[in-house]
Order: sequence, then structure tokens, then C-alpha cells
Amino acid sequence: MSIVASLQETPLDPREELGALLGQAAGDGAVVSFVGVARAVSRDGDPVDSLMLEHHPTLTRRSLEEIANAAARRFNVSHVRVVHRCGEIPAGDPIVFAGAASSHRRAAFDAADYLMDRLKTEAVLWKREEGPGGSAWVEPTEADYRERGRWG
Amino acid sequence: MKIKFHGRLADAVGRELDLVVEGPCTIGRLRQRIAGSFPEAAGLLEDRRVRACVRDELVPDDHHVAVTDAVEFLAPVSGG
Repeated sequence: MSIVASLQETPLDPREELGALLGQAAGDGAVVSFVGVARAVSRDGDPVDSLMLEHHPTLTRRSLEEIANAAARRFNVSHVRVVHRCGEIPAGDPIVFAGAASSHRRAAFDAADYLMDRLKTEAVLWKREEGPGGSAWVEPTEADYRERGRWG
Repeated sequence: MKIKFHGRLADAVGRELDLVVEGPCTIGRLRQRIAGSFPEAAGLLEDRRVRACVRDELVPDDHHVAVTDAVEFLAPVSGG
């Protein structure tokens, strides 16, 4: 079992993260991964140049670790990998990599789904979209909280 | 008392505030005090998703803080 939960200010390379997970998962039958990407358009349809992800000096990392550990406990997975960006992220760049490996596919699918539902609503980060029209905070939607609620 | 604000709260109140408090009080009372001084932040401060943090631990509204404590208020969080 391995659990990775990290926060980085430098660009995130999803191929590298998937490669690392696949390397760890040798012998497993399933690897599922999700990559969140900074959108170029806001929910209101305004253009977005970049996303600023502010973090807390201690609570952010702790929240990522808690979520990754909870996924590892809850599902029959052998590896969990969460890598989250912070700082300024240009539109089109990856924000988060969430992946899991398991013997059979269902546990890995469920773990990745669970990781993202919790990251969207509980990772201690604050998102601000920056565009030609100014900046706007982005908070979880009702749908995000509903999705989170599926896991109890 | 040193108070820090994160996320959307920082726009309304500023990133840091030095608040004069006479004695120990609860987080709930602090929310009311700040909301009274910054009406534009009152709605957000009443939002239950806004959490308080003392010494890197999340604390409930009935938590008592000393005048020497540093308190942080976290606007609703979102990753992913």
C-alpha cells in the first residue's frame, strides 16, 4: 500500500504522475486516474486567463493527506495518489491528479470518484479566476456538495 | 487579538485584523463582532461553511479563545 498526497507550486505533469502510479501498481489489475484542468471560461461564460489557488501553510497539506488516507481506508485499493497544484495556474494547465490502483476496476473507479468529490468540497484551497473582466472567487456548487454527500 | 482571513473573506475584511477584545470570548461572539464592524462581510461570516481555526486546528463556534490567541477564519474551500 502506498499513499501519496502532495501540494506543489510548480507545474504538474499528469503523465509523470500516471507513470509513477503505474510503476507502483505492478501486479494490480486496474489503475484509474483523473486530471482536473483549469478552464478558459468561467461558469458565467467569461474568459479566464488563469486560476489562482491560495493555500494555508499547514491545513492544506493536512486536508490532502486526510482525504487520501480516507480513500485508502475505505476502498480495497493498493495505491492512492493525489497531487494538487497551488499558486497561479494558466488556463489549460492541470490543477490536480487523483489516481488509485487496485486488483479489480471497481475499487479504483470508486476511490478516484471519492477523492475528487472530497477534494472539490474539502481540500483547504481558495480558488480565484483571473480574466480580462477582473477576478472572481470560485466556491463549490450545490451539485458539488450533493456529490460529496453520496459518500456519507 | 490577531485575526487572519482567507479566501473571499480577505476581500471583505482584509487579510489581517487586530481586534481589541477585553477578555476571553467564543468564536461565535468574534464572528458577531467582526460582522458588526464589516457589514459587507456579515452574510459570509454567518455562513456555516466559514470555519474558524486556532493553532492550526478547526474549532466550533462555542470554542473559547484567549486574548493572546491568534484566530483564522476560512472562507468556503474548494480544490480540484
